Amino acid sequence: MNILFLKFLFGVMFLTLVFLHLTKKNFLATVAYSIQSLVITIVLFNSFLETNNFYLLLVVFLSLVIKVIIAPIFFTNLIKKHALAFSVSTYFSTPLILIIISILTFIAYSDKFLPLTSIIPNNQALLSIALSVIFMSLFLIINRKGALSQIIGILSLENSILAFIIFAGLEQSPGLQIGVIFNMFIWIIIASVFISMIYKHFGTLNVTSMKNLKD
Amino acid sequence: MELLFIIASFIGTALIIILIKNRLVIELLSIGASFVAFISSVFIALKVSVFGIYTPLVFLSVDSLGSIIMLIIGLICLATTIYSVEYLRQETSKNIIGFTRVKQYFILLNLFLMSMFLAASANNPIFAWIFIEATTLSTAFLISFYNKPSSLEAAWKYLIINSIGLLLGFLGTLLYFTTTTNLGGNDFVSWQFLQDNAHNFDPMVAKIAFIFVLIGYGTKVGLVPMHTWKPDAYSKAPAPIGALLSGALLPVAFAVILKLKVITDIAVGPLFSHNLLIFFGVLSIAVAALIMFNAKNYKRLLAYSSIENAGVMAFGFGLGGLGVFAATLHMIYHSFVKVVLFLSSGNLLLRYNSDKIKNVKGALSVVPVTSVLFISGFLIVTGTPPFGIFLTKMQILSVGINTHPVASIIALFFMAIVFIGFLKHVTSMFFEEKQVDIEISDKHIWLIIPPLIFLVLVFGLSFYIPPFLYTLISDVAVKY
Repeated sequence: MNILFLKFLFGVMFLTLVFLHLTKKNFLATVAYSIQSLVITIVLFNSFLETNNFYLLLVVFLSLVIKVIIAPIFFTNLIKKHALAFSVSTYFSTPLILIIISILTFIAYSDKFLPLTSIIPNNQALLSIALSVIFMSLFLIINRKGALSQIIGILSLENSILAFIIFAGLEQSPGLQIGVIFNMFIWIIIASVFISMIYKHFGTLNVTSMKNLKD
Repeated sequence: MELLFIIASFIGTALIIILIKNRLVIELLSIGASFVAFISSVFIALKVSVFGIYTPLVFLSVDSLGSIIMLIIGLICLATTIYSVEYLRQETSKNIIGFTRVKQYFILLNLFLMSMFLAASANNPIFAWIFIEATTLSTAFLISFYNKPSSLEAAWKYLIINSIGLLLGFLGTLLYFTTTTNLGGNDFVSWQFLQDNAHNFDPMVAKIAFIFVLIGYGTKVGLVPMHTWKPDAYSKAPAPIGALLSGALLPVAFAVILKLKVITDIAVGPLFSHNLLIFFGVLSIAVAALIMFNAKNYKRLLAYSSIENAGVMAFGFGLGGLGVFAATLHMIYHSFVKVVLFLSSGNLLLRYNSDKIKNVKGALSVVPVTSVLFISGFLIVTGTPPFGIFLTKMQILSVGINTHPVASIIALFFMAIVFIGFLKHVTSMFFEEKQVDIEISDKHIWLIIPPLIFLVLVFGLSFYIPPFLYTLISDVAVKY
């Protein structure tokens, strides 16, 4: 696949993360996650084209079904079921979020992380983007007060780590990749069940309303 | 073969429990599966002590550290399953839980145990990661077992913090594969293969990778500052699950850190990982000691004690040499004594219906046997002589005082604070005047026998270590 196209895909991934930080609607956050997962699936498909490993095609298929289709459907159903149109607010204001995102991106491109981004020197630009997306995903989880946003943050973190390892040449055997995807699938189901339980008990997905563990 | 028995018995039991509705059969099957696992883990440990390694399949391999951990899991799983049967019966009789909950409990318990055995025996770091993540997934609903807002909150915190930690651990683990990129993506990479190729590891990447690993798996171990989920999860989970989380899961996660530490040490020398382990170890001891002093809940007190002991282990492993021997022995003692403490705390909870320290008064006269168990556990876990933990702590400190005197003195100071803090709470719970309206009772034998056996076991191991176990621990000290 053309390196420019891959850079474009990673640019899309970066923008979905910025969008996830800015959006106030849960549905749009779900769509952004779906697009991000689609990017990862295309990159995985690229690996299949390069290796012609049939099992990688299975990984691509599972990634497509679980992350691009099923997970967003799960989240959309949760949003509809509990009328969660708007996400819970953030700890930081929007201008501050943009400043922090810029700093995180700068750190990812800095010399401190050169050993990581130059694992494969030809992919340094892509690895730097992937690393900045990892940092931004971590910040998304920390900054969001909503349980659903936190889940999407964790799934984004997983996507960004996958992006990093693909371009660092650290892809595992398809068997292990299927194991990881299966784990994430179970994780998505469990996290979705927890979201329903949180809403049932607390009447909101705002995690700051959970204050029962003071002792 | 033994490992396959373990996996088959847990999977089979979990599947059968889904289909059946007879509580007695569910209980017997679960005890049977744990018994098979216990016997198999003993055989595996014996084999490893003779042959050095046990590899039934290419993706499953057990070395000396793995076999010690499997032995710990095997023993604890049998005790906690037997205890769980009576514990859940008591809770059912109090209308706290119904049959469906009991069924869910045993399904998840069997899956949790299987995941731990597979994580301890995985011959590939990613395979180990998958099963450590599986332990998170199987225990999340066990922590929210009582379906109360507080237990749900604890489970959510556990799920989120551990998932973030493990994803960072995943990234760190994958960075170790930079030494094998020339192999392509389809070869199975074992721990040994990574170790053999560690000299190809870029030192800077190795350092960053180990930091990610220490943060990631350190979250599961409960090292400060990644410990925040632990007091909540331990205090809200049923008592036998607390025993398993503290006694069995902690060593499983620690083993992954140690295996990756060996590879890091080859690439960058041992100083880097040792300093990090010592730093996080002493920090964990200090923070846990300060919080324990003002604890209000006795299950949270035990959680902070686990954090302190994880710190002691990290400190010991960070010192290397004799420190590793002492830390491994400390791991065994700690796991066993935590079973005594968590199971006896479950008995206290059943009797007092409260996990608040202020609500438990005069326990020595209300539940005398349980009280003796808890007090003995307290004496052992805080390092009172002549018990094993006293010896391991002293051994670690005596190694540390030569190489890291400041860290050792700080650790010793906070270990003393732990003892004083714990003693304060024990005095309040067991020796003060009992409430007039509470019935004097300690009658359920199956709530007493499992912790009692572990008390005898930890007492015996304080004075005599079987030769096969000594061989295994010595091998760990050489390899790690």
